[in-house]
Amino acid sequence: MLKEVLAAIFGLIALASATAGVAAAGLLWFVGRGEVSILTGAAIMFGLCAVVLTVALAPAGLMVARSMVRLKHDLEQIAQDNEQHPVMVGPKWLRPILDAFTEAVDRFRQRENAFRNQLRDLEIRHRVVDAERRQIEAVLHALRDGVIVTDSFNEITMVNETAAEILGFTVEQAMRKPIDDVLNNEYLSELVRSTREQANFADRRHVEYDLPIPGHNGEPEEERAFEITLTCVENHKHEVGGVVTILHDITREREVSQLKSEFVSKASHELRTPLSSIRAYVEMLVDGEATDEASRREFYSVIHNETDRLSRLIDNMLNISRIEAGIVQIEREHVDMKPLIQRAVETLEPQARDKAQMLNAKIAEVDLSVEGDADMLYQVVLNLISNAVKYTPENGRIIVAADSDNLTRSVVVTVTDTGLGIPPDAVSRLFEKFYRVENFKRVAKGTGLGLNLCKHIVETLHQGQIGVDSKLGMGSKFWFSIPMRYAGSQSAA
Amino acid sequence: MASKVLIVDDEAHIVQVVSLKLRNAGYEVLTAVDGEEAFEIACAECPDLIVTDFQMPYMTGLELCQALASETTTTDIPVLILTARGYALDDDDLQIGNIKGVLSKPFSPRAILQQVKDLIGPSDADTSREADAA
Repeated sequence: MLKEVLAAIFGLIALASATAGVAAAGLLWFVGRGEVSILTGAAIMFGLCAVVLTVALAPAGLMVARSMVRLKHDLEQIAQDNEQHPVMVGPKWLRPILDAFTEAVDRFRQRENAFRNQLRDLEIRHRVVDAERRQIEAVLHALRDGVIVTDSFNEITMVNETAAEILGFTVEQAMRKPIDDVLNNEYLSELVRSTREQANFADRRHVEYDLPIPGHNGEPEEERAFEITLTCVENHKHEVGGVVTILHDITREREVSQLKSEFVSKASHELRTPLSSIRAYVEMLVDGEATDEASRREFYSVIHNETDRLSRLIDNMLNISRIEAGIVQIEREHVDMKPLIQRAVETLEPQARDKAQMLNAKIAEVDLSVEGDADMLYQVVLNLISNAVKYTPENGRIIVAADSDNLTRSVVVTVTDTGLGIPPDAVSRLFEKFYRVENFKRVAKGTGLGLNLCKHIVETLHQGQIGVDSKLGMGSKFWFSIPMRYAGSQSAA
Repeated sequence: MASKVLIVDDEAHIVQVVSLKLRNAGYEVLTAVDGEEAFEIACAECPDLIVTDFQMPYMTGLELCQALASETTTTDIPVLILTARGYALDDDDLQIGNIKGVLSKPFSPRAILQQVKDLIGPSDADTSREADAA
C-alpha cells in the first residue's frame, strides 16, 4: 500500500513539476518578448498550474469520495446487522486497512455473541433460581410451623409468615437483620447462636419452650407451648452456613394429653368407687359380718346395684369414646318423637310417684318426625327426665314438652323442672365428661357421664343442639333440638 | 368406754360398711358425709381416730386434716385416709396434720380394722372378749 501511496505522491509531484515547467517556459517566452509583465506572467502561470492540477486530480478526488461513501455505507451496515462475518468492499488501495478492520469487527462480534449467550444462560438460570425461590417461599409460607433461617452471621435470610406472627414482626422487617434485633427474645436468639457455634450436623436440637404470643387487635398476649427444632445447615465449604429453626406449636397436643390423663384419672376414680363397695361388701359377707338374713339381703342388694352402676359406667365410657373416635354408625331411620317421649315418661313415672312429683308430657299436635337413631334419642329423653326426677325435691313438678320449630326446621324437646337449679359457674361445664355439681353429689348418684353422652348423641350423631337454661333454686330447663325429617327426604337406613 | 372412730365419706355404702366392720369389732362409730360435717363432729366429740375419704364435696380429706391440725382439741387425732386416687397424694401432702396411713380404694374392711387396732388399740369390748376367752 505504501508503494501505491508513494507512486501517487510522486505522480502528483511529477505532474505539478511538468505543469510548472511548461508554465515557466511559456512565461519566460512572453516575458522575453515584453508582452506581459513579470507579475502578470507569474499570476497566469499559477492559474494555469492550478487549472491543470485541478483537472488532473478531479478523478482521483472523485474516486476517494466514492470510496468514502461506500465505506460509510458498509460501516452502517455492520452497525445495523448482526452478521457473523461482515463484508466490506472498498477500493483496492484501502483493502489492507479494511481487511484488518473487518477482522477486528469479526472478533468483536464473536466475543459479543459469546457474551450474549452467557447472558442468556444467566438469565435462564436466574429465572429458574427465582422460580425455585418463589416455590420454596410459597411452601415455607404455607407451613403451619414457624420457620426461621439464619446465616453464618446470625442474620435472617428466610422467615415465614407463621414465624413472623408468632414472634410479632413482619417478614419484610426481618429479612437480612440480625436475630437479636428481630426476635426480641433473648432465649431464642441464644438458642440459634449456640446451635451455630456447636456446629453439630449429626443431631437436631429439640427444645420445649413456652412463648408469649402477642395478642391481635388489643387482645392480651397468651402463652403457647412450642417444640423448637434447630438444625445446622452446611455451606459449600462444609462449614456451618446457618441454622434452620422450626417452631412447632404443641399447645393443643399438650392440652389433649392433659385431657386424656385427666380422663384416665377421673375414670379410674369413678370405677374404683363402686368397685370399692362391691369388694368391701363381699369381704363382709365372707367374714360373716352380716349376722342376720335382712343384713345379708341388704349386702347382696348393694353389691347388685353397685355392679349395675359399674356396668353402666363402663357402657357410657365406651359409648362416649366410640362416638368421639367416630366409629359409631347410627341407624338413621324415621323416628316419631311423640311415642318415644311418651314411653320415656311412662318408664320414669313410678320414680316420680315415689317422690310425689307431677310428671306431665305436653306434646304439640304437629308432625314431630326426625331422622335418627330411635334407641339413642330415647336414651337422651330418658336421661334428661331421670335427671329432673333425681334433682327435683318431693312434690315438685316436671314437664316434658315437644314442638316443632319452623324457623330452624327442627323438633325441640324440653324438660322443665322445679328442682334445685344449677349454679351459674357449673352451667358451662355441665356437659363435660365426669363433671358433677359438687353440692349435688349428695342429692343423687350419677356417673358424671350421662349429659356428656346426651351431648354426643344430639350434636355429634344427629347434628342437633343441646343446652340448659337454669337459675340456682329456680329449677332448670334442659332442651335439645334435632333437625326435622322433611318431606321427600330419603331414609339412609 | 369404747374407743370412738369417726368415718367420713360421701359414698353412703362405704360409710355403712366401714361402720359395721368397726362396730362389730366393738368400736363406737360416728359418721359424716363431708369434710365440714366431719370437722364439726370431730370438734364436738373428740374421736380417738378419723377414717376419711380423700375426695369429698365442700372440704377434701386433706383440707379436713389441715382444719383438724389448726385446732388444739383435734390436732392430735390420728387420721387414716381412704382414696381412689393413691397417686394424687404425695409425701408433702402426708405431712399435713396427723395422717397415720393411706388406704387405696378398693379397700379391705379387714385391713381397715387392723390399721385401726394398730393405731388406737383393740376396742374395750374386744379386750374384754379376749379376757373372757383367756
